[in-house]
Amino acid sequence: MNRLTLVRKNLFRKKTRSTLLLLSIAIAFLLYGALGAFNQFWEDPPQAPTRLVTLNKINFTQPLPYAYYNRLQSVDGIVAASHANWFGGYFREPTNVVTSFAVEPESWFTVYPEFDMPADQRARFISDRTCMAAGAPIAEQYGWSVGDRVPLQSNIFTRADGAEAWQLEVCAIYTSTADTAGAGAVLLHYELFRETASFGGNSLGWFVLLTEDAALNESVSRGIDDMFANSSAETETSTEAAFNQAFLEQFGDIATILSLVIGAAFVSILIIVGTTMVLSIAERTKEIGVLKTLGFRNNAVFGMVLAESVFLSLLGGLIGLGLAAGLLAAAEAGLGDAFPPIVMTVEIVGSAVALMLLFGLITGVIPAASALRLKIIDAFSKG
Amino acid sequence: MRQTLAVISLNLKSIPRRLGMSTATIGAVALVVAVLLGFQAIGNGFRATAERSGAEDIAIMLREGSQAELNSGLSRDQARLIEVADGVARDETDNGIISAELYVIVDGVLRGAQTEANLGLRGLEANGPGMRQGFRLVEGRMFSPGAAELIVGEGVQREFLGFELGQEIRLGTNNWTVVGIFSTGGTVFDSEVWSDLGVLQNLYQRGSSVQSVRARLTSPDGLERLQAYVENEPRLNLDVQTEAEFFAGQSSGTAGVISSLGWPLSIVMAIGALAGAWNTLYSSVDARAREIATLRAIGFSGFSAFIGTMAEAVMLSAIGGAVGTGIAVLFFNGLSFQGLGDSFTQVVFDLSVTWDSIETGITLAIMVGVFGGIFPAIRAARMPILAVHRG
Repeated sequence: MNRLTLVRKNLFRKKTRSTLLLLSIAIAFLLYGALGAFNQFWEDPPQAPTRLVTLNKINFTQPLPYAYYNRLQSVDGIVAASHANWFGGYFREPTNVVTSFAVEPESWFTVYPEFDMPADQRARFISDRTCMAAGAPIAEQYGWSVGDRVPLQSNIFTRADGAEAWQLEVCAIYTSTADTAGAGAVLLHYELFRETASFGGNSLGWFVLLTEDAALNESVSRGIDDMFANSSAETETSTEAAFNQAFLEQFGDIATILSLVIGAAFVSILIIVGTTMVLSIAERTKEIGVLKTLGFRNNAVFGMVLAESVFLSLLGGLIGLGLAAGLLAAAEAGLGDAFPPIVMTVEIVGSAVALMLLFGLITGVIPAASALRLKIIDAFSKG
Repeated sequence: MRQTLAVISLNLKSIPRRLGMSTATIGAVALVVAVLLGFQAIGNGFRATAERSGAEDIAIMLREGSQAELNSGLSRDQARLIEVADGVARDETDNGIISAELYVIVDGVLRGAQTEANLGLRGLEANGPGMRQGFRLVEGRMFSPGAAELIVGEGVQREFLGFELGQEIRLGTNNWTVVGIFSTGGTVFDSEVWSDLGVLQNLYQRGSSVQSVRARLTSPDGLERLQAYVENEPRLNLDVQTEAEFFAGQSSGTAGVISSLGWPLSIVMAIGALAGAWNTLYSSVDARAREIATLRAIGFSGFSAFIGTMAEAVMLSAIGGAVGTGIAVLFFNGLSFQGLGDSFTQVVFDLSVTWDSIETGITLAIMVGVFGGIFPAIRAARMPILAVHRG
């Protein structure tokens, strides 16, 4: 029987207690893993490094003149550009929101090369302006398949001819090969929108550009914004990453709230596990006396107690991370739609393991120190 | 009964002997309750603000199906038709009391995060401010018609940078002067910036179009009469509802989403706290094994041992619940918060810890105590009398 066996046996001598401790540690790390992944996504949403967006400087809900589209393409460093208008679509009932953009199809797929669909569907969508392309999640949500005719209404725009809805054929269903946001939207032809909407068709919502190299992002952004400075519609160009982050921050200070919750969970679990470890060692005073009598050195006893708490923390923590991974996978399956998958990154797992070690050391150090200081004579004189 | 009471008091009096573990349990339960109440306070605060915002005697009209002011659009001619509509109250000169309004979104800079966030800028005519219950200028004066001047809601001033009285501020391409600070007593309008309608239409190239029309109703049946009028007027394609209905129909926006995270998080944390309570009580039963066995030996029932342990469990968790409530009231209640609302702009509101949520929190705490105590209590009840010889 080596020392590790002794540590293990000690740990599980009270099954209920150890199980409960493992459970509470697992819960702390479940929260850490799941919320941490969510938080990281929030802080740093995935995006292409060379993709820029140009918006009206007043706010992204304000339109831009159509003429800007041709003018900005002259800025050096731009490989491709496309434009979009927010359509404000819904399907049958206003509550069935359909994220939808009126776009120029060909250039849209150039700036979003990760959108993937069969070649014939793609060609059909590009050539026929009564077509729509639907992201796979939204097509699934409303049960659309290729060839269906779908009445799409808008909560902003009306048709100039007075008809209720835009009758569009689902010509393509696309997926995204990268974890990009916006892969769940419905795309329709800008040309169709411009000709049929009673207003709003002569201006554009925003531009999406690809630059030659991420190093040029800064100069391209400045080039565009300078070009339109002091006009009636000034622009603001930023990387897609910066835009997404600013957009997400609008939702409130989620990061702080999540950190507070993770903090609260850790503090409560720390005090529970810590006090239990103290108690569990105190109960074994006599045994520790026996070990020391048998010739175990003080340091060895100290190490064994510490190993016990670190082992407990690691085991519970890994169970918790496993649960978090399962939960995120389930959330992805359930959430579907426009959201890219949220995953635990290597940094989160790494920091979690570091935290487990730290947590084990903190909860173990007081009982280990008292075991270290214990004199054999005291061990046997106590009750 | 007397037995039970005696055992309860024995249990409770022994709590100080396990001070460390008992405090740990109380602390864990307190944190669970504080987290739950904190999250609920976000949702409650937002809802309270929305509910305060709508009046029963004001009708709001938006283009059919548009649901939010931002999506809606009406022409000046349509607004004139409403001015003479049935059911709309008249002023001394027999003009209908209506307010045609334009609502645009501009970027403001949040004080806390220093990041840009959507801010609602509303253009109104002379009638507009008076149609908000409790509207008053806190400082400064009203904007003058035709001037690029702003009056700023209290909430905006609290959460956004650069809206001090007298200051010039650049929104997009235009410079504005802040000439007044207003309050509507904590409604969503406190999160807006107001200017003259004509100036806003001009600067944002909206011609003479507006986005919503509010009208003061003559009487409780005014709404029906107005709805009938709109129905029979082919030039109007509007949704007509009272302002109270309009705000009640708004979702709680992101505040609601954040708030709904509260339950799953607190339940997961409660399971952690449960484990803590369980441990504490098992060790309480173990530590008093001899005592319990002695009591059983001299004729106390197993049931009284059970109740004694349960009382200890519930006591600890109830104290935890009370501490957690205290933390929530102290730190969260009244805290200013901002989140995205239905009109896609930031709404500033105060967190509110309500009695309902306190009741729920305490109930959750006691549940933790009951479930945490039940198995240790069963062990206490089944303690063999022979245990008196142990240890």
